[in-house]
Amino acid sequence: MIKHKVFLTLFLSLSAVCGLFAAKPAPAAKKAASLPPAAVLGGVTAADMPYDVGGAVLLRWAVNPSDTPATTYTVYASSLQAGGWVEAESFASTAKTGKDIDLPFWAWDGSASEHAVKIELTNFFGEIKDGDVFHFKVAALENGKLVAESLPLDASTTSNWFRLDRLNNVVMLLLVTIVFFWAVSHAKRKGLFIRRIAGLDAIDEAIGRATEMGKPIYYVPGIGDMTMVSTIASTFILGEVAKKVAQYDTTIKVPHYNPVVMTVSKEVVKQAFLEAGRPDSFREDINQFISSDQFSYAASVDGMISREKPAACFFMGYFMAESLLLAEVGATTGAIQIAGTDSESQLPFFFTACDYTLIGEELYAAGAYLSKDPMLQSALKAQDFGKLVVMISVALGVILTAVGALMKWGAFTQTIADLFKAY
Amino acid sequence: MKLIKKTIPLAIVFVFGILTLLTYYVPHKHSVDFLETMNKWENIVTAFAFFLGLISLFYAHSTKISRKADGWGYSLFVFVGFLAIIIPAYISKGKNMNGAELTWMGWAFQYIYNPLSATMFAVLAFYIVSTAYKSFRIKSLQAFVLFVAAMFLILGNVPLGQIIWDKMLGWTGYNISQVVDWIMHVPAVAGKRGIMIGISIGAVVTALKIIFGIERQYLGKD
Repeated sequence: MIKHKVFLTLFLSLSAVCGLFAAKPAPAAKKAASLPPAAVLGGVTAADMPYDVGGAVLLRWAVNPSDTPATTYTVYASSLQAGGWVEAESFASTAKTGKDIDLPFWAWDGSASEHAVKIELTNFFGEIKDGDVFHFKVAALENGKLVAESLPLDASTTSNWFRLDRLNNVVMLLLVTIVFFWAVSHAKRKGLFIRRIAGLDAIDEAIGRATEMGKPIYYVPGIGDMTMVSTIASTFILGEVAKKVAQYDTTIKVPHYNPVVMTVSKEVVKQAFLEAGRPDSFREDINQFISSDQFSYAASVDGMISREKPAACFFMGYFMAESLLLAEVGATTGAIQIAGTDSESQLPFFFTACDYTLIGEELYAAGAYLSKDPMLQSALKAQDFGKLVVMISVALGVILTAVGALMKWGAFTQTIADLFKAY
Repeated sequence: MKLIKKTIPLAIVFVFGILTLLTYYVPHKHSVDFLETMNKWENIVTAFAFFLGLISLFYAHSTKISRKADGWGYSLFVFVGFLAIIIPAYISKGKNMNGAELTWMGWAFQYIYNPLSATMFAVLAFYIVSTAYKSFRIKSLQAFVLFVAAMFLILGNVPLGQIIWDKMLGWTGYNISQVVDWIMHVPAVAGKRGIMIGISIGAVVTALKIIFGIERQYLGKD
């Protein structure tokens, strides 16, 4: 009897395992079987994203006119031959068209009638080498249910050699360079007229005042490093100021925030003293490193200015919050103050606390203006030409865009906008 | 001598200037790697230059102390401050925290350096008031325009401003925040962009001057 029961149990278990009871479908499986099979999403292409460093792929396919607001697309990516799909992007059917790719008309022919999706593979697969093949598929979903899916596509990425989208920038640069060389050759033939810059004309007055009063001059080159154009311009001005200081035999002090700027400035000042015929007056402690901490630097220089009460203070270079701390303390000592910076957020502080302020481009022009070297002054012509181009571009751009908007010429307006946009 | 002092440095500036310029137009990995290498070099040069800076700092202050120059007492604080950070940093092996506890260096930063730094920053508020006072002195038509714009901005940024505006200029139908938005987004941005365009063009031309060796003051004259 027991033997029969054991056989019966074994038989029932085996039957269960073999799926005899599975002949009747489970409710979920039944539901799935009743759905129509997903359609194949055709016309999808995958290619390397142009004009980038690599690691990105661009997928494109036509917009389906029958898509509803409930339709969404999901892009999957995989680094494996089979499986391993990662959801790379998901978006509504109305989003991510060819028009949404931020590239100009000469580098991109995308339209609103196609979807274009950029997939940054490095976000999902880490570092990628040129030529690594990845697999992609696009799924269309309606209310979260799969309605169509593309066949897997292969694509690899490459590092590109030219940013075609920056062609307008290249053209502008070439134009400015040509004008620059024309101005340089022109300067060799005859002199150029340079308008007066009051702040630079006041340098002589400031140095003369310091000489008469027997007080030092403080030249603060800011907190920029040597890679910044404003700091480089500041060292040019320092050279001219130091030359005059050496001629007048007065004292100059240059407190530094950046040790590299200090090293360069030391050479510039030494050279200036040499050119002025006063190498004996040069001292190593003219250029002094203070601190590479913004407020420690400001506190220290403020202390030096308060104690020594200089006759003139120059603030030339890149400044941040310490601009006002320095300029206000200088103003309380009664020093003539001349400032120059390209940090537009600090200009208002210098305007109010200093006697003269050089605004951005005047700071760059100062070295040429003071040296009176025709070769250097010629560069100012290229600067003026650049400004002329900008002025004409702004005027033309405003008129053409307004006309385009008025006449509802969308493509024309976009073309004008592309021409002047930085990519 | 001219080759070492002039020609080679100018050639280096030209080659690396052009290569760095090209990195803006060439997105290739080699270009990115080059820029990264240059940045590393810059950091290395800065690190070495920092030692020169330290020597300069110590030399200047030790000279002041030895000569008993005016204010030489302040120079002592340079060395005291230096040791007050360096010794705890050495003991703490450069770490601010040891588990949940502050190390000596962490303590020095938290209770000496940070309060001093915050104090300097706080002083700025007083200077801004004094600068604002100077700006608001109406000496010309431009100063008057500046004053009016500033008054609107002040009104727009204080809670009482809206009430004052409603009482006095509510009849205009505009909200003070709309006026402030217009000032900040139209005339202020227009002025700022003008300055920015000038600065950008100036920067390009200055860079060209340096790359092509027109500006060579940093090398000294021939």
